[in-house]
Amino acid sequence: MGVVKRISGCVATANAVKLADVDVICSYPIRPYTGIMSELARMVADGELDAEFVYGEGEHAQLSVVYGASASGARTFTGSSGVGVTYAMEVYSPISGERLPVQMAIADRTLDPPGDFGSEHTDALCTRDQGWIQGWASNPQEALDMTLMYYRIGEDPRVLLPQYACQDGYFVSHILGEVEIPDAAQVKEFLPPYKNHHVLDVRTPQIIGAQMEPKMGPGMQYQRYVAMEGSRKVIEEVHDEFGRMFGRKYDPWVEEFMTDDAEVAIFIQGGHAETGKTVVRRLRSLGEKVGLVRLRTFRPFPTEQVRNALSKFKAVGTVDNSVNFGISGAAGVLLTEARTALYGLGDKIPTVGFVAGLGGEMITHDEFYKMFMKLKEVAKAGKADKQSYWLPFEL
Amino acid sequence: MVSSNKLFEEPGLKQITVWARGVYENKEARDVVVALTEAAAKEGKYVQAWENYVDLPDRIYVPVRAYGKISDQPIESKYVYENETPDIVVLTEETLVKGVDILAGIRPGAVLVVNTKRPPEYLFKFLKKGTENLKSIITVDASSLAKSIITLSGAEGATDASGIGKGLGAPLAAAVVKATGIVEFENLLKIVANKQAAKSAYEKAQVAEVKTLVNAG
Repeated sequence: MGVVKRISGCVATANAVKLADVDVICSYPIRPYTGIMSELARMVADGELDAEFVYGEGEHAQLSVVYGASASGARTFTGSSGVGVTYAMEVYSPISGERLPVQMAIADRTLDPPGDFGSEHTDALCTRDQGWIQGWASNPQEALDMTLMYYRIGEDPRVLLPQYACQDGYFVSHILGEVEIPDAAQVKEFLPPYKNHHVLDVRTPQIIGAQMEPKMGPGMQYQRYVAMEGSRKVIEEVHDEFGRMFGRKYDPWVEEFMTDDAEVAIFIQGGHAETGKTVVRRLRSLGEKVGLVRLRTFRPFPTEQVRNALSKFKAVGTVDNSVNFGISGAAGVLLTEARTALYGLGDKIPTVGFVAGLGGEMITHDEFYKMFMKLKEVAKAGKADKQSYWLPFEL
Repeated sequence: MVSSNKLFEEPGLKQITVWARGVYENKEARDVVVALTEAAAKEGKYVQAWENYVDLPDRIYVPVRAYGKISDQPIESKYVYENETPDIVVLTEETLVKGVDILAGIRPGAVLVVNTKRPPEYLFKFLKKGTENLKSIITVDASSLAKSIITLSGAEGATDASGIGKGLGAPLAAAVVKATGIVEFENLLKIVANKQAAKSAYEKAQVAEVKTLVNAG
């Protein structure tokens, strides 16, 4: 049995990293993820965690350090937020290309502009096609659990891919929530030490990240594709086992909330789903048939599961907390992914995009309420008058 | 349809807002809300504690806020930036009565707790706005009962390794309990490090009814 504490998402993640008994951590400060690193630094200083704590000179260096450390057989951890995430952009693809299961926590922050401290998923979503497993936690407990499960998934010899464990900056990363910190011995059983089968070692020389020729490209890319697609099975197995061992059962792909007889539903990922759930509960108390579907894993995208979840409604509204200027559908990537998942069902399920919470602004109860009212209208008419609505300006 | 404003009311929810001076008193402000919410959690209440994200970090001596929420129902307004309608307002130092709209949005029956040597009558003169909903002013000389702890430990959502309620947080939280009974004092004592300061503050805090202060002119 674990210990229950009220801690922030940052501290929850740090506790998971400690329980995962990582070997090398590389830090560089930026709000809001920085609380994870200050907590880990304290743990190392106090002797609670035996790990090499390296101060990078920037985010590019952070990712380069864990890249090398992982190649040498270490379990590694790093993280960032906002422009820190994009500054390291060059290094993400090499890490997944070398099939190194590095883990990076991202506590979202807006890019510039507005560059405020608030949360937007844009930073992490910029990295979405780099061959990393990726998903969002909606509260501190899930942040802790996700960190442990992602190490296990990424290090599975059938996968060998790095992972972005994302959480909304401030909302999840800074507000204290109740978290059960699992027992260390139990975690050890769930997550055995990382075994790299191609360790970078002077006694057995090898080249990692060497210049390739065009003819080698297709094979290498195909392997990375196969690994990402093959990870689906492992993701399901690991979630099952985690549920059995720790008692917290998560659907690996989508969490459905009050969707049973729902006529309209919101499709969303991350912490704002918690606010959305309140609105669903309150509207249900008035007899409104509304529901919410929360995406848990973004990469690999669960096309089939999303299709199954969303195809039962009369109208779907996606909530994008990111900017994707000029994208098809004029909202965000959740809208395009949801529409792709529903492709072939004709116009039977009108799917509209909402863009909300930009700049890290809250998505209020009232805004969710308005989205549901709009969806009722859309369901009744069988179509929307617009493809997307930017809140608060267009709804 | 009912109005959406009414739909999202949380009747059992109490909001605590602590005002402090940036960096120097971040810990003290945070300690007041953490001590009270941890004590309330012992009583089976639903709680939430956090610091104002936009006020921070590193803004030395500017007014900053820490927040707490205590409810007998699950908290449904979880991911917000501020307490919009506080029931309890605490000042870690007295000059915050001046020039800062500390009573903004307070609900009827709200209380104000101030760390000060001065009498409530004197402080009341500086409260220009929002006193119509204020029930009482509680004064306590917390600075004479405990030493202020200046630390960055616990900043940015991390764990405070210096100890909850080791400094001014303990006597200030005790004064809140005396004025409101929001938690059992015994439960607060189980949380705070400086138990002696909490006990003295609980004994010495002065409660002045605003009605009386208004009548006295």
